[in-house]
Amino acid sequence: MGDSQYSFSLTTFSPSGKLVQIEHALTAVGSGQTSLGIKAANGVVIATEKKLPSILVDESSVQKIQTLTPNIGVVYSGMGPDFRVLVRKSWKQAEQYHRLYKEPIPVTQLVREIAAVMQEFTQSGGVRPFGVSLLVAGFDDNGPQLYQVDPSGSYFSWKASAMGKNVSNAKTFLEKRYTDDMELDDAVHTSILTLKEGFEGQISGKNIEIGIIGADKQFRVLTPAEIEDYLAEVE
Amino acid sequence: MAQVAVEVPPKGGFSFDLCRRNEMLSNKGVPPPSFRKTGTTIVGLIFQHGVILGADTRATEGPIVCDKNCEKIHYMAPNIYCCGAGTAADTEAVTDMVSSQLQLHRYHTGRESRVVTALTLLKSHLFNYQGYVQAALVLGGVDANGPHLHTIYPHGSTDTLPFATMGSGSLAAMAVFESKYHEGLTKDEGINLVCEAICSGIFNDLGSGSNVDVCVITKGHKEYLRNHQLPNPRTYVSSKGFSFPKKTEVLLTRVTPLQEKVEVIERGDAMEE
Repeated sequence: MGDSQYSFSLTTFSPSGKLVQIEHALTAVGSGQTSLGIKAANGVVIATEKKLPSILVDESSVQKIQTLTPNIGVVYSGMGPDFRVLVRKSWKQAEQYHRLYKEPIPVTQLVREIAAVMQEFTQSGGVRPFGVSLLVAGFDDNGPQLYQVDPSGSYFSWKASAMGKNVSNAKTFLEKRYTDDMELDDAVHTSILTLKEGFEGQISGKNIEIGIIGADKQFRVLTPAEIEDYLAEVE
Repeated sequence: MAQVAVEVPPKGGFSFDLCRRNEMLSNKGVPPPSFRKTGTTIVGLIFQHGVILGADTRATEGPIVCDKNCEKIHYMAPNIYCCGAGTAADTEAVTDMVSSQLQLHRYHTGRESRVVTALTLLKSHLFNYQGYVQAALVLGGVDANGPHLHTIYPHGSTDTLPFATMGSGSLAAMAVFESKYHEGLTKDEGINLVCEAICSGIFNDLGSGSNVDVCVITKGHKEYLRNHQLPNPRTYVSSKGFSFPKKTEVLLTRVTPLQEKVEVIERGDAMEE
């Protein structure tokens, strides 16, 4: 690529108008484990593969899906440590908002704050962009919402989206299967089927993680036992 | 970075800039405004299964009762509550701030908050402000290590006790506790004792009055009994109604009862398209 001369410095545009570091960050995301999200009529589901580097790793200590507020959850594809930093910042932002306005932070506001943080790291000296894309799922007064935030800091609201290794197959699968009047349970089944598409090996409650939020506006991560139940229903 | 607009003094700690102005004003005969204090009787005790906190509900501005039904039992965490005496703004702000910090800590650790954590955060803050934050607190809760009850003084010292009272009515309430408290109280006995102590403060201390609020915290469960007792009801509503001076012709009479609470009706069915 003729862009390679401009690929070292984050704060320099290449002649084609791209910030090459961000492109590289997206590549890092694209080689991360598959994750996806589906917005149903009465809730949102987010899910991800949880492939551990070795069978010796204690899989109960790995939490890829995190709760940002009682009614907002998030999953990622890409670099785990970058995700941790973003989650910590989001907790603080959400809590500061709550302290100031005595109201739980709306989903759009939190997404905007996270995206602003990610954008900062594309326009500062001596830092690199975050190597993660996030799927933020929430349920507030505006109903169920699903947002994808990219390393550049851009965010979009999606009805269903996927990121990571198997993104093109997963998105095609979702396009075929998605209906506007889907219920939350159907969405969970669809997300399991989508993950199964590109899954290497035997899918089970221990190597995928699923988080749901329903009309009760409480985000929670499903236990391995609950995932096994859904898997059995899908078979 | 999007700055949340909470003003913080530049180097932390109290900013004494306006003290000279205040001195000049009081020398010229303009007295400083009196603070809204919570006068107060606040109590806490440990019973068989946890902690019971109690408070009165009168807030005063000097000799005037400015709030007949204020809330002095503040939420800190799902398993920790804190009663506050002293300057109302100080108690509310400091408990709010520490509650926020505890929530953040819960996100970081994924665990239930401990009472000693709240205690340490509060006492460090109060000590840093050298007693200028006039908040005297009774902190109680149940965590993984059992039930805990502490008192925190405005300068930052703390006590750990099985039963405690603070505020202007503390002597009246402590008299009740000292004579009737024993270990192994049941929940009902505990609530009754707390109510007795608060009522003692309400009737014998000018700075305390109105109603009794109670909060019962046990392992995994809490009961916030707002206005558990109302020993000071309004009894003076005249049955004759309003009478006009002579020669006034009444054209229309319409009585609109004042609503104390606003009922928020949950959103019903969605609008039809």
